[in-house]
Amino acid sequence: MAHLCLFSLLVLSMVLETQALTPTHHLTTTDVARLQAVLSQPFTDLKSAYYSVVGLSKLGILVADADETCQFIKSNLDPSSVESLFYAAEASQALSGCEIPVSNDTRDLLLATVSEDSTASQIHQSVSALSSLGLPLASQEVVSALKARISKEDNVLTIILALQTASRLSQQAELGDILEEIEDLAARLDDLSGVYLQFEEGLETTALFVSAAYALSDHVDMEPPLKEDQVIQLVNSIFSKKSWDSLSEAFSVASAAESLSNNRFHVPVIVSAQGPAAISHSQPFLRLQVTDVLCQPLSSASVLVESASTSSSKSAILSQAPFTLRDEVFELNFMASQPASGYYQFSVAIAGDSRFVANHVELKVKVSTRVAINNMDLSVVDKDQSTGPKTTRVEYPTKAKAPFMADSHQNFAMAFQLVDETTGVELTPHQTFVRLHNQKTGQEVVFVAEPDSKNLYKFELDTTERKTEFDSISGTYALYLMMGDATLENPILWNVADVVLKFLDEEAPSTIQAKTLYTPKPEIQHLFREPEKKPPTVVSNAFTALVLSPFLLLLILWVKLGANISNFTLSPSTFLFHIGHAAMLGLMYVYWTHLNMFQTMKYLAIIGSLTFLAGNRMLAQKAVKRLEGK
Amino acid sequence: MSNSVFSVISRFVEEYRSSTPNKLKVIDAYLLYILLTGVFQFLYCVLVGTFPFNSFLSGFIACVGSFILAVCLRIQINPQNKRDFLTVSPERAFADFLFAHTVLHLVVVNFVG
Repeated sequence: MAHLCLFSLLVLSMVLETQALTPTHHLTTTDVARLQAVLSQPFTDLKSAYYSVVGLSKLGILVADADETCQFIKSNLDPSSVESLFYAAEASQALSGCEIPVSNDTRDLLLATVSEDSTASQIHQSVSALSSLGLPLASQEVVSALKARISKEDNVLTIILALQTASRLSQQAELGDILEEIEDLAARLDDLSGVYLQFEEGLETTALFVSAAYALSDHVDMEPPLKEDQVIQLVNSIFSKKSWDSLSEAFSVASAAESLSNNRFHVPVIVSAQGPAAISHSQPFLRLQVTDVLCQPLSSASVLVESASTSSSKSAILSQAPFTLRDEVFELNFMASQPASGYYQFSVAIAGDSRFVANHVELKVKVSTRVAINNMDLSVVDKDQSTGPKTTRVEYPTKAKAPFMADSHQNFAMAFQLVDETTGVELTPHQTFVRLHNQKTGQEVVFVAEPDSKNLYKFELDTTERKTEFDSISGTYALYLMMGDATLENPILWNVADVVLKFLDEEAPSTIQAKTLYTPKPEIQHLFREPEKKPPTVVSNAFTALVLSPFLLLLILWVKLGANISNFTLSPSTFLFHIGHAAMLGLMYVYWTHLNMFQTMKYLAIIGSLTFLAGNRMLAQKAVKRLEGK
Repeated sequence: MSNSVFSVISRFVEEYRSSTPNKLKVIDAYLLYILLTGVFQFLYCVLVGTFPFNSFLSGFIACVGSFILAVCLRIQINPQNKRDFLTVSPERAFADFLFAHTVLHLVVVNFVG
C-alpha cells in the first residue's frame, strides 16, 4: 500500500514537472475588434456577403440590418449555380427570419452535384446548401462520393472540405474513414521550432482545418487526435497574424476562433496579466484575465496559485491560494503575504473544465516598494585622526546647511542606510551613486557607494587619492545621491550637501579636450627609399682606368714575348672563326645594354654554332699541320 | 737569410726564362693581366665601398673564372703533361677554353646589371 502511494506520488511529480506549452500568440480585444471591423465591411457580392454574415455570426455578433441583408441575398441569388446557392443558403441560415425560396429544380441541381465527378468543393457546397435549406439528402452517397474524391485528389484542401461536409451529414452514416483523415492531416502539419504548427499552404488552410476537424469531432462526439501541445501550436500559428489580407482569411480565422472556444473537447485558455505584472503597496492586487481564444472571459474557471517563490531561492511564499473573481477579472491580494521587494515566479493553475488546454501558466511578478534613506551622516575626518570626526546628520530631502571643507589632510565620509519604507527591511538597490558636480566648470565625477556586511552604505572621498578623477580642480562641488532599481517606485536624486575640495598642486585647469577621435589625423609623409650614396664620379672614373690598365700591360708583354700572328692561315674557316668569336663578344656587350637572356640565347645559338663549326675546322687544320710538322 | 731567398728567386726566374716554351709564357702574361684586374677591383671595393655589390661580384667572379680557365688551358697545353692528357689535344683544350669562357661571359654579363 505504501509502495503504491509512493509510486503514484513519483509519477504525479514527474507529470507536474513537464513543462506544457502556453500560447505565445493570441488575439487581444483590439484584435478581435479589428477582425469584426474587417468582417463588417459593406459587401459587394454574394460571396463577400456570405463571409461577412457567417463570419460575424461566428464571432457571436448579429448583423445590423438583417432584412436589408436578406433582400440583398435574395436579389443576388443565381439559382442555377451551386456556389451561389451555397453562399445564399449559409448566409440566410445565419440571419434570423430569412428564408430562401427553393424550387424543385434547385433541389435536383443540388442533389445531382453530389457525385464522384464533382470536385470536393462542389460536393461541400451542395451538401451544405441542402442541409441549410432543410432539404433531405442521402448521407451514404455523399460519403462514398467524398471517399472517391479523396482518393483521386489527395491535397489538403480537398480533405478539409470533406471533413466539413461530413459534419453536416447524418450521424448514422459511416463517417469512420473520413474521421481518420483528421489524424493523417495532422501529421502533414509543419512544426516550426516547436512553436508553430501550420500547413505549408498557409494560414487560411490551417484555420479551416481547425474548424473542420472540431466540427466533425463534435458531430460524431469523438475527441480529435490532437495533443494539447499541438492545439497550442495551432493557436500560435492561426492567431499570430493580426491583420488579414482578404475577407476569406478573416473568415477562416473567425471560424477557427469560434470552434476553439466552443467545441466539446479542447478549449485553449489564455491567461494575461492586466497591465504590467507588478505589485506595490499602492496596488496590492495581482489582476489576471483568463479568457478563451475569442477574448471572452471564462467565468466558470477557478484560478489558483499553485506556488509563488522568489526567483533566487525556491522557497514558496504562497501555496494553493485562490484568486477571486471580480468584474470578469481574477485578482489576488499578494501584498497581504508581505513579500519582500523583488521578482517572484508564480505558477498558476486554471481549473473548472476538463476541456481546458494550457491551463498551467508560469508568470513573473515584480513586487516594488518605496525606499527611505535613514541615518545619512556626513563627516570630515582628519587623515591622521588627531581630531574626532564631525558628523552632521541630514534628513531627506533637505540639504545640509553648511558646506563641508576637505583638503589634502582630510577625508570626506558619508554613511547611510536604505530601508523599505513600510517594512523597514534593509534594501540593496542596483544603483547607488554619489555624484560630485562642479558648478563652475561643469565637471562631474561619479562614484559608487557600497554596502558593508551589515547593509550600511559607506562612501569615503580621499582628496589625494582621487586627485586624477577631479583633474586637481579645487572648488565647490555639489554632492548628489542617485539611487535606482527596477523594484523601486521612487528613484532618488538628492542634493545632499556642498563640498569644498582643495587639491594640492593645482594645475591651471586645462580646458577639457574635445574628443579628437574623429578629426583628421596628421598626414604621414612617405619617405621613399633614398638611393645609396655614390662615390664622386672622379673616383669611379679613376678606378675604371686603373682596372683597365692591365690590358695595356698584357699587350706590351705579348709584344715583348713575340706572340706571333704569323701563323695566321688565310682560310675561310679561320676568318669565319675569328669573326664569329668577335661577334659573340659583341653580343655579350649588346646583352649587357639592351637584350634579355632569352634573346641572347637565341642569337648566341646562331652565332655560336657557326663559330663552333668554323673553329672546329680551323683547329683541325692546325692539328694536322702540327702533326705534320712534328 | 735574405741572401738565400734572393738567390732562390733569381734562380727561379732564370729557369723560367730559359726553359718555358713561348706559348706558355703568352698564357702566363695573360694570367698576370687577369690577376691584376682582379686585384684592382678588390682594391676599389675595399677603399670606396661595395655599392653596387652585384657589379663588383660579377667582375670579380669574371676575373677568378678566367684565371682558372687559363690555368687549365696552360696545364693542358704544357707538353710536359702530355702523358696526363692523352685524349686531349691542345686544339681540343683551346676549344674547351673558349666554350667555357662563353658560358662564363653569359653568366657574368647577366649578373653585372
